[in-house]
Amino acid sequence: MKIGICASNESTDSEVADRFARAEFFAVYDSETLQFTFYSNTAKFEGSGAGGKAVKVLGDLDVEVVLVPELGPKAIDALKIFEIKSYQYKQGKTVREALYEYFEKKLPELLESSVKGKH
Amino acid sequence: MKIAILSGKGGTGKTTLSVNLFSSLKKATLIDTDVEEPNSHLFLKGTTYHEEDIMKEYPVVDDNVCSLCGKCGDFCNFNAIITSKKKVLVFDDLCHSCGGCKLVCPTNAISYAEKSIGKIFYQSVGDNKQFLYGKLLVGEISGVKIIEHLKNVTKKEDILLIDSPPGTSCSTVSAIEGADYCIIAAEPTPFGLSDMRMVVELLRAQKMNFGVVVNKSNLGNDDIYTYLEEEGIDLLGNIEFREEFARIISVGELLVDHSEYVRNIMTDIIKKVLGETYA
Repeated sequence: MKIGICASNESTDSEVADRFARAEFFAVYDSETLQFTFYSNTAKFEGSGAGGKAVKVLGDLDVEVVLVPELGPKAIDALKIFEIKSYQYKQGKTVREALYEYFEKKLPELLESSVKGKH
Repeated sequence: MKIAILSGKGGTGKTTLSVNLFSSLKKATLIDTDVEEPNSHLFLKGTTYHEEDIMKEYPVVDDNVCSLCGKCGDFCNFNAIITSKKKVLVFDDLCHSCGGCKLVCPTNAISYAEKSIGKIFYQSVGDNKQFLYGKLLVGEISGVKIIEHLKNVTKKEDILLIDSPPGTSCSTVSAIEGADYCIIAAEPTPFGLSDMRMVVELLRAQKMNFGVVVNKSNLGNDDIYTYLEEEGIDLLGNIEFREEFARIISVGELLVDHSEYVRNIMTDIIKKVLGETYA
């Protein structure tokens, strides 16, 4: 299974990002190979609809779980069609710490939008 | 003649200039194209005699026909369609109704539905004047359709004033398109000058004729005048800031009804832009 984590930089010791679709990088952890791969978030420059686009980026990478700071309504809707589950971390962690907390089942699942959509 | 009033920075006096110029003309039509936050109507107090819904088209995907190829989503520049291997999701509020997704769909799974994105209000002001304004619904991403409609229904007007949206985005470009002359409402502050430079760049790229009215001319600094001189841009007039003006505006009244000073400036601008006969 692949797990996506919003990252501020390209290392497992980097801090997690404080925004989902505008995160600098997505760290993708593959639980079969135990490897991290970092992808530049191509959705972050979108003028609008970045949430849906970011989910598409992760979905096309076959990610099944994402660890996020917050999610807007469009990202939530998009995650559903990719059947990706989302879990919320609190700020101030590294990518690795957030992943450990997910495996320890310490992160709450996000079932609905945690922030309002903006225009 | 069509005259657009625009500014770059918000709050420099587009609406103040528009409604006071409009009120100084014997016969004219004004449209408020700042459809995200229209406010000219607050000053004109006309009577609405007609309302019109403005519709936009957005794609509807027939899941039974869709092959999940993803071409529609790849085509969309506004992320209004997101495709997974199992389903297609449409965010109709992000759609700009370009029709592209329907064109690229190989299985003809996309049709278009319509929904209202806002309204146009038609008002009569006095005997000879018409005023129209548009209002975009909250949550809709673009007011361009409403602006285009406002322009279209008033395209044959003899004298048309266009109160434009702030900034230099699609809405502003749409509002000024086809205008014979643009008046920039500027403010002599660092922000005012910086945003005005962007407007000047836009107007030059669009090959438009334009001049500047410096509002609140006794505030800020003189950089704007140096800039106008260096760039060879026409200065159409100066309007001082006075506490009395702020009071009049704050209760939704017209400066020309209270101040001879402003009346003279409006007449002067009209003479410069439209000619002696209209003043």
